[in-house]
Amino acid sequence: MEDVKAFIESGILELYVLGDVSPTEKQQVEAMVQKHPAVKAELSEVEKALESYAFANAVEPLENQRNRILNSLVTNLADDATFTKKGAAADNVVIMKTPANNFYKYAFAASVALLIGSLVALFNVYDKLQKSNLQLVVMTTQNQHISKTVGYMNEALGVFRDTTFKVLKLKGTKNLPSGGMTVAWSPVKKKVMIDMTALNMPENDQEHQYQLWAIVAGKPVDLGVFDKSTADSSNMKQMKSVAAPTVFAVTLEPRGGSVNPTMDKMMVAGAVNL
Amino acid sequence: MSKKKISLSEEELVLALRHREKIAVEALYDMYSASLYGVICRIIVDEATSEDVLQETFVKIWHSFSSYSADKGRLFTWMVNIARNLSIDKLRSKDFKNHNKNQELENNVTFIDEQRNTVYKPELMGIKELVQKLKPEQKSILDLVYFKGYTHVEAADELGIPLGTIKTRLRTAIIELRKNFN
Repeated sequence: MEDVKAFIESGILELYVLGDVSPTEKQQVEAMVQKHPAVKAELSEVEKALESYAFANAVEPLENQRNRILNSLVTNLADDATFTKKGAAADNVVIMKTPANNFYKYAFAASVALLIGSLVALFNVYDKLQKSNLQLVVMTTQNQHISKTVGYMNEALGVFRDTTFKVLKLKGTKNLPSGGMTVAWSPVKKKVMIDMTALNMPENDQEHQYQLWAIVAGKPVDLGVFDKSTADSSNMKQMKSVAAPTVFAVTLEPRGGSVNPTMDKMMVAGAVNL
Repeated sequence: MSKKKISLSEEELVLALRHREKIAVEALYDMYSASLYGVICRIIVDEATSEDVLQETFVKIWHSFSSYSADKGRLFTWMVNIARNLSIDKLRSKDFKNHNKNQELENNVTFIDEQRNTVYKPELMGIKELVQKLKPEQKSILDLVYFKGYTHVEAADELGIPLGTIKTRLRTAIIELRKNFN
């Protein structure tokens, strides 16, 4: 036991407690502490004395340090994988992480909403464009139709305004008592026009056509064939030229016309009144 | 102190720290921050730096707690050595030296005691008086080693006293404390 007493009195335990020993001395002290309860008791007394001394000389840190330091530990606490206990520490970390998580969550939701909104808007615009295009086609067609109609009407008006034209009303024969048509003839221009709009005659079938004749010096002259159809009845049709006719007449002939008129198929006729 | 302080027995505290419970951290701070800060700010002097070192001390205590063994000594002994070592490291770091040249000249224990609100707890009044009973030569050595981070070899140099005498005085100073505290 003598070596224990000497060990204690050497003052090494005090230096050990003060952290002022070499690694070898440290091991030595720890070995002695394990081996001899007396050394352990002595060590404990030295520690308590110095602990009390520190306590007596304590300096209270500023109040704000408590939260600062505890928070830094709590952050570490949450980083620690071994710490899975309940309590404010874990809650704190969740709160700290929440804003970042929510930001991306909301950003993602906003992006998706924006994408859907854009698609809806795009679809609407595309739909309107399609409708507009369709309307444009319809209007273009109408426009063409109108301009065509205007063209026909101008043509007709031109004929009727032209003072050189004579307008003849051909009347229905016994074959077609209610029939009638209008022929315009210009002796100066040698032009013959028929007014398809005022063609008061029945529709011809596929095998037959109407043929316009002019009687010149007692002989029939072919002026061309025409059809009566509901589809095309909005223009003046120019026939073959003729000079000095006395009578205009229309017969129903086989399609393509005949060389000589079939007299018993004469539908309308009218004399030129010079 | 408006806040209610948490206090546990050392055994409970060690157990709670081992289980990494949050209450252990709070108890640790409430029980030991002032004692540790007393050591740190006497070595460092500069208040902001002392506060940083106190924080580093708690972080290190928390992180390396698994290396503490109750067989080798009391918890406070282990912690105060961490605090002292971190303080000395900080004091010797290049940044700190450049930053704090002026204050180093005034670095002494009485200066600190005049500058700081040292704790005056009723239950400590007796202890304070007893501490004053230390002989000046005992107190100066103890304070150099305990509160200024000197090794006993450095203290011997500083005071111009043989190494053996330093050890003896240190031991008698602590024996005197033991008489007074126990």
